[in-house]
Amino acid sequence: MTAPLLSVSDLRTSFFTSRGEVQAVRGVSFELRPGEILGIVGESGSGKSITCMSLLGLLKSNGRVIGGSALFEGQDLLTLDDRDLRRLRGDEIGMIFQDPMTSLNPTLTVGEQVIETILRHRRISRAAARQRAIELFELVRIPSAAKRLRSYPHEFSGGMRQRVMIAIALSCDPKLLIADEPTTALDVTIQRQVLALLKELQSRLGMAVILITHDLGVIAETADRVLVMYGGMVMEEAPVRRIFARPSHPYTRGLLASIPDLRDGAHQRLTPIPGSPPDMRHPPAGCPFAPRCTHAMAQCANVLPPVYDVEPGHGSRCWLHHPEAPRVEGVNDRELA
Amino acid sequence: MSDTPLIELRNLVKHFTLSNGLFGRNKVVLKAVDGVDLLIRRGETLGLVGESGCGKSTLARTLIRLFQPTSGQMLFDGVDIAEMGEHALAPYRRRMQMIFQDPYASLNGRMTVRALIAEPLEIAGIGDEASRRVRVDQLLDTVGLNPDHATRFPHEFSGGQRQRIGIARAIALNPDLVICDEPISALDVSIQAQVVNMLEDLQAELGLTYLFITHDLSMVRHISNRIGVMYLGKIVEIAPNDALYKAPAHPYTQALLASIPVADPEARRDSAPMRGEVPTPIDIPSGCRFRTRCPFATDLCASVEPPLRELDGGHFAACHYAEKVMGRQMEAA
Repeated sequence: MTAPLLSVSDLRTSFFTSRGEVQAVRGVSFELRPGEILGIVGESGSGKSITCMSLLGLLKSNGRVIGGSALFEGQDLLTLDDRDLRRLRGDEIGMIFQDPMTSLNPTLTVGEQVIETILRHRRISRAAARQRAIELFELVRIPSAAKRLRSYPHEFSGGMRQRVMIAIALSCDPKLLIADEPTTALDVTIQRQVLALLKELQSRLGMAVILITHDLGVIAETADRVLVMYGGMVMEEAPVRRIFARPSHPYTRGLLASIPDLRDGAHQRLTPIPGSPPDMRHPPAGCPFAPRCTHAMAQCANVLPPVYDVEPGHGSRCWLHHPEAPRVEGVNDRELA
Repeated sequence: MSDTPLIELRNLVKHFTLSNGLFGRNKVVLKAVDGVDLLIRRGETLGLVGESGCGKSTLARTLIRLFQPTSGQMLFDGVDIAEMGEHALAPYRRRMQMIFQDPYASLNGRMTVRALIAEPLEIAGIGDEASRRVRVDQLLDTVGLNPDHATRFPHEFSGGQRQRIGIARAIALNPDLVICDEPISALDVSIQAQVVNMLEDLQAELGLTYLFITHDLSMVRHISNRIGVMYLGKIVEIAPNDALYKAPAHPYTQALLASIPVADPEARRDSAPMRGEVPTPIDIPSGCRFRTRCPFATDLCASVEPPLRELDGGHFAACHYAEKVMGRQMEAA
C-alpha cells in the first residue's frame, strides 16, 4: 500500500467562548492516500469543517488546536508557523469553500486574483502567470477564458464563481484539494456540473481530495472512502460502497433512514432520528450519539466505545461490535459473536 | 367537500420594474412569474420545484398577496382575490398561512414562544386572553413542544424546534392552505425527517392543503401528490408525482431529475450534466424559454412558445416534442 499523503492522528480542537469551551473536534484520526477522494459527512456541529480548518491553520481567533498531529508528506501541519502554512496553502494544498462570493475580492478582477495567487507561489513573469490563468480558466471550462479574466466576481453566476475558485485552488498543482461544501450553495443542475468537473480534474491531475458535505447523495456519487462524523468524532469509516451497502453504526443507519429513497415509488414514512445533536460545551461522557440511539445500552452513556474493525478498512465506533454485545439486525448480526 | 379547487391561478403574471443606469433612467422588466395556470385541490400537497430565480417563491408570495399581481386571476375557493381590497381580503388572508425557510430569521427574538403563537390569534381578534392561552397550549402539544417551552425565547431552541414554533403559528388560525417555502432546507438531515413527518400528520389531522416549495427533488417526491416544475417564470411540466419521476416529458425536468445526487454508489451515472445556466428573467429567450439549454431544440422552438398541454391523465408539459422526449426516457429506463 502506498504511503499516506496525509495522516491525522488524535486531532483535538476547541473554541474558547464567553459561554465556555466548545469541544468541536475530539480526537479525529484518519489517513488520506495520494489520488484518493475522501468524503467527510456529518451534520452541523459534527466537527467536519473544523477538522479541515484546523489542518489549514484557518481557525477563528478563539479556536485552538489542543492536541494531535497531522503529517502532510512527513511534516506536521499543526506545528508549522504561519509563514510556512501560508506557503503551503495555495501551493501544495488548495481549498474551495461553500460561498465563492465571500472568498473572492469584489474589487479586483478575477484574472488579477488568479495571477496574484500564481505569482505568490511561483517565480515566473506576469505574462507567464497570465497565460497560466487562461489555461486554468479553460481547464475549469469558463467560456471565453481570456476575456473573462477581466471580469469582476459579481459579473459571474454562482456556478461560474465556484469554477473561478477551483481555478485558483488548482493554480499551483496542489497534491491535496480541500473542498468544504463546494456545491451546497448551487442549484442542482449546476452542482452536477461542478461535481463532474471536480471528479474529472481529480483523476486528470491525480490530486487527493477531501470533500466535506452534509449530502449523502454527493458522497455516494463522488467519494472513494467516507468518514461519518458526529459530536466531534469519527463514528464510522469505510469505502463508499460499503458504507451504503452495510452501514454498521446506528448513526449512519439513522441518517440513511432519514432521507427518502428516490428509486422507491412507494410512499414510505421516513424514520427520523429522535432528539437533537449534543451541546459541544458539555459533550456526553460516553458515545456522543447514545442519547439519540435506539440501541443504546447502559454503558453507552458513560464509556466511549473504541473503533471496532467490522472488516479490514471498515471501522465503527459502537459498543454493539463488542463480542459480548447483543445482536441487532443489520448492525452486527453478521459478525461472529 | 366541494368540487371547486381551493386555488386556481389563471395566467398569473408578476413583473418587477427595475431601474438601472445613471439616475435610474433605464427601466427593465424582471419577469418573475410570467403567465402561470395552476390548480390546487383541497387536501392535496402540490410540490413546486425549480432552481433559484425560477419564480417559485414569488408565485407563493403573490398568491398570499404579499405582492400585488401584475395581471391574471387568483381564485381562492372560487373567488378572485387578485384585485381585492385589503378589507375584503382579510378573511382570505387568514385562510392562507406560510411557513418560511429560515426559522432563525422568521421569529421575533424578543417575543416568548407563547406570545409568538398567540400573535396571529390576537391580530385576527379571536378569543380572549384566557381562551388564547388554552389554544396556545393545545398548539404546542400538536407540534410536539412542551407547555413549559411557552415562556422561553426563540434563541433557546434548536433549528428543528424553531421550525415547530413557526408551524404552530401557521396553523393557529385553522387555515385551509399552508404554503411551505423551503421549510426544511435550513435543517440537518436527521431533523428534516422529523419535520416532514409532522407536516404529514398535521395534514391528515387538520385536512390541510399544502403548496410545498423546494429545490430538494428527493423530499418533494416523498411529500407531494402532484408536482409542478418551474423554469424562468412558467410551469413547464406538472404531473402526479410518480408520473413525473417515471416518465418526465419536458427536457428540463429530465435534466433536473438526472442531476439529483442519489445516495447509492452503485447508481453512479456517466451521463453528461446539462449544459449552460439559467438565463436572466430580464431577457427571456424567444419561443420556448428552455431552448438555449435544450438538447432537442429546433427552429420551431425559437419562434413558437409551446403551450402547457395535457399528455395523459393529469400530466401536462410545455414542449413541442413532449411525446418524443418522454419516449426516449422510457427507452432508457
